[in-house]
Amino acid sequence: MPHPGWSAFSFEGIGTHWEISTPQVLGADIRQQLRGEVDKYDKTYSRFRADSLVASLSQRPGTITLPEHAVGLRNLYSRLYWLTGGAMTPLIGASLERLGYDPEYSLRPSGGPLPPPPWEDVLAWDGTSLTAKEPLVFDIGAAGKGQLVDLLGGLLVSAGFSDFLVDASGDMLHSGRHPVTIALEHPYNPKQAIGTVVLDNSALCASANNRRAWGDGLHHVLDGTTGQPIQTTVATWTMAASTMEADALATALFMVEPTVLEEHFAFSWLRVSSGGAATFSSAFEGRLFT
Amino acid sequence: MTTPLRKSFYVGIAGLSIVGSAAGCAPSSAAPSQPTQPTPAGSAATSHSGSGSTSGSTYKDGTYSADGNYTSPNGQETVGVQLTLTGGKVSAVNITTHPTNPNTKKFQGEFASGIAAQVVGKDIDSLNVSKVAGSSLTSGGFNDAVQKIKSEAK
Repeated sequence: MPHPGWSAFSFEGIGTHWEISTPQVLGADIRQQLRGEVDKYDKTYSRFRADSLVASLSQRPGTITLPEHAVGLRNLYSRLYWLTGGAMTPLIGASLERLGYDPEYSLRPSGGPLPPPPWEDVLAWDGTSLTAKEPLVFDIGAAGKGQLVDLLGGLLVSAGFSDFLVDASGDMLHSGRHPVTIALEHPYNPKQAIGTVVLDNSALCASANNRRAWGDGLHHVLDGTTGQPIQTTVATWTMAASTMEADALATALFMVEPTVLEEHFAFSWLRVSSGGAATFSSAFEGRLFT
Repeated sequence: MTTPLRKSFYVGIAGLSIVGSAAGCAPSSAAPSQPTQPTPAGSAATSHSGSGSTSGSTYKDGTYSADGNYTSPNGQETVGVQLTLTGGKVSAVNITTHPTNPNTKKFQGEFASGIAAQVVGKDIDSLNVSKVAGSSLTSGGFNDAVQKIKSEAK
């Protein structure tokens, strides 16, 4: 609960825990809308369920029609694919599955790291239309959760709620008159923080390779040009107006220098390298424990 | 032989006591192995000099040095780490860089200068916060699978 007296609505969705905090208790109607949006998103994009829309593409080539909000997702992925030289790609799913991060959670590599196919070779994604030229694993995991946070924020605003915090296990969106102080989890010790930030009508996202790790050097942040887990950065945080952008940029920071991204996006960032150095933009200045 | 390098990477970032970080793997129960070795195929040359006095931990006081390799976006790179242990805790960290790729030079330069302003952890319980942002908590399925593998590995 970000503030005393607020109420929280919690549920599980897209494989993570959600908590939506508001000054007043959310009614049954809006709760149902929020849950419905999460279920719909999962049913569209999850590569962990066989009945999702994108799962059909892993069986055979074909064209699917995505929801309207896929346009923004496509534009973001396309820009970052280009800026990262292919390292950040919606085709990373096959590489993740190769290393064991598959729908069955086998967590056992079926072979060495395998780079995914180039976007331009196998995927035609134009607005809401997505064509797979060959069977492929479509995975928007680097920005999807953030987009879903934004969608829930939109539902709350439409329903007349101006004060809220949507928290999808660390990726969050704040709105309203009551800023929230948030601890930045220590990459190696979840009981500790390395600093705090104040979230005030903005989104905050974090990415780290310590939790979704399952073996020697195996975790879920992969380089799309090699299919290998990235070892030079261990954790990143970003703040931006949209949670979708913050989410995607937190992943992109594992792959390219922040200056490259700063030329194209308005956001704040903090990056901790495997050697222990923290580098950050001005919004994080004075916020870290040193 | 990568172990000493791993130690240094742990304490380097955390300011944790060596005893704590040596106790095994990552504090997070979801991580079955150290998440931070420079590279699975990495190698390290190590040397050790020091008084050899023990402090109740499994680590002797002294100065440890290691060269580690890691795979950067620019290819294979080497970084040198030297740390001094006193009473089981890290009292000094030194990073030396010897990048082979000019593109890495800038990156490692930041890396070396950043180490002086090392971040340290504080117990979240001691902070006046109600929210934490870090690696996202994972679904039951993933955590269960990790636990299974851990138990099979015993």
